[in-house]
Amino acid sequence: MELDFSVVIEYLPRLLSGTWMTIKLVLLSIVLGAIVALPLALARISKNPLISGLPFAYIFFFRGTPLLVQIFLVYYGASQFEVVRESFMWPVLREPFWCAIIAFTLNTSAYTAEIFRGAIQAIPEGEVEACKVIGMTKTQMYRRILLPRAFGIVLPAYGNEIILMLKASALASTITLLDLTGMARTIIARTYTPIEIFLAAGAIYLLISMVVIYIFRLVEKRQNRYLGTQSIKVPDKG
Amino acid sequence: MSKDPALVLKDIHKTFGDHEVLKGISLEAHDGDVISILGSSGSGKSTFLRCINLLENPTKGEIQFNGEALQLKQGEHDLIAADMKQLTRLRQKIGFVFQNFNLWPHMTILQNVMEGPLHVLNRPKKEVQEYAEYLLNKVGIADKKHMYPNQLSGGQQQRVAIARTLAMDPQILLFDEPTSALDPELVGEVLGVMRGLADEGRTMLIVTHEMSFAREVSSEVVFLHQGLVEEQGTPEKVFGSPDSERCKAFLSTVF
Repeated sequence: MELDFSVVIEYLPRLLSGTWMTIKLVLLSIVLGAIVALPLALARISKNPLISGLPFAYIFFFRGTPLLVQIFLVYYGASQFEVVRESFMWPVLREPFWCAIIAFTLNTSAYTAEIFRGAIQAIPEGEVEACKVIGMTKTQMYRRILLPRAFGIVLPAYGNEIILMLKASALASTITLLDLTGMARTIIARTYTPIEIFLAAGAIYLLISMVVIYIFRLVEKRQNRYLGTQSIKVPDKG
Repeated sequence: MSKDPALVLKDIHKTFGDHEVLKGISLEAHDGDVISILGSSGSGKSTFLRCINLLENPTKGEIQFNGEALQLKQGEHDLIAADMKQLTRLRQKIGFVFQNFNLWPHMTILQNVMEGPLHVLNRPKKEVQEYAEYLLNKVGIADKKHMYPNQLSGGQQQRVAIARTLAMDPQILLFDEPTSALDPELVGEVLGVMRGLADEGRTMLIVTHEMSFAREVSSEVVFLHQGLVEEQGTPEKVFGSPDSERCKAFLSTVF
């Protein structure tokens, strides 16, 4: 068969508008997800089972069930309740865009909370004690030392989570959203050129991933510059 | 007017699981005292030091600073602070130097030293920076202030850690085996700084294996054995003519 990539050029504006939708979905849910994840992670660290129990259940649920099921639950499920349909939330909940944002945010916040928790717990105990002995309160400890320190540790895993989120965002197309994947399918329905259009869509996803990886590499380099000469200059690291 | 001792520890006990590490240790430190705490590993000396500012929670005992009793209440396994505000306030007055320095690796040397006075004591930045630079100069690493801890040798890191502790203007300094993690050739520079502090008349409690250092700088030496004070007195007494056989045996192995 003959491949004809002129169709890609012809539909490029549509693909780019789908790309923009994908970027909006990912950016919003990543930002909101991080905001939800931070208190979850902090609560998860607590030694009090009453405080750590709820985030544990939350994370268990959202990591243990398929994202697609979660999207359907929000999109098809919420409208089943009259309370929801009559509430002030309805203008939001009837929009597929916001349904996707809600599902993505809940899902990614569960993964992100675990990443944050791991990073905070990876900080050596001695550095925490160094905060305690100068009389820092818990709040000062987290705000001044532990969270900035965890930020450097978290970067590689967090960059990974963003890329996973980018790819998972294709599921938004199942609830009528014209994200990159949704748009590609719409174009294909009209042109019958699945290979060309899906290849183009794949290439755009790849490009976005590369940008994310590049940005994270830059931030990581800046944030973790203190690790620079460690192995060479410190023969007597206690 | 009689002044309360800077630090009073009464009958400190500590149990880990079934193992009783401290079996009732009492100690008093007055302003200007330099007390060295010796003992073989496992004698409980580090645990004892860490109980003073509740890095380790004693199972029983009393702690007083300048006559003010640290409020303790019964926790699940041991005594915990009853008043966190009091604990953080008192901790600001008790400097603690760790065996492994525990500098914050993502901050420069200067930031490490400035952190406490700037954000815990809320002092003005300009003043804090000047003081931090003065202290770094005093411990002999002013030229490295913009470097990160990992770019420094162990001896240099420990000197920064001492400067970081001094920046809080503590009334008492606790040293937990400050030279044990160092290569032998780096021990001297740290001991030199500590000797300077002792000469200034600072109140210090030092857990150490450096016997000749302890002998020179201490006003009092305490020898711990299996969680109890086995021998206590002036350095002349403890090193010269100890009563305890165990203390004699210990000293003969290290000298």
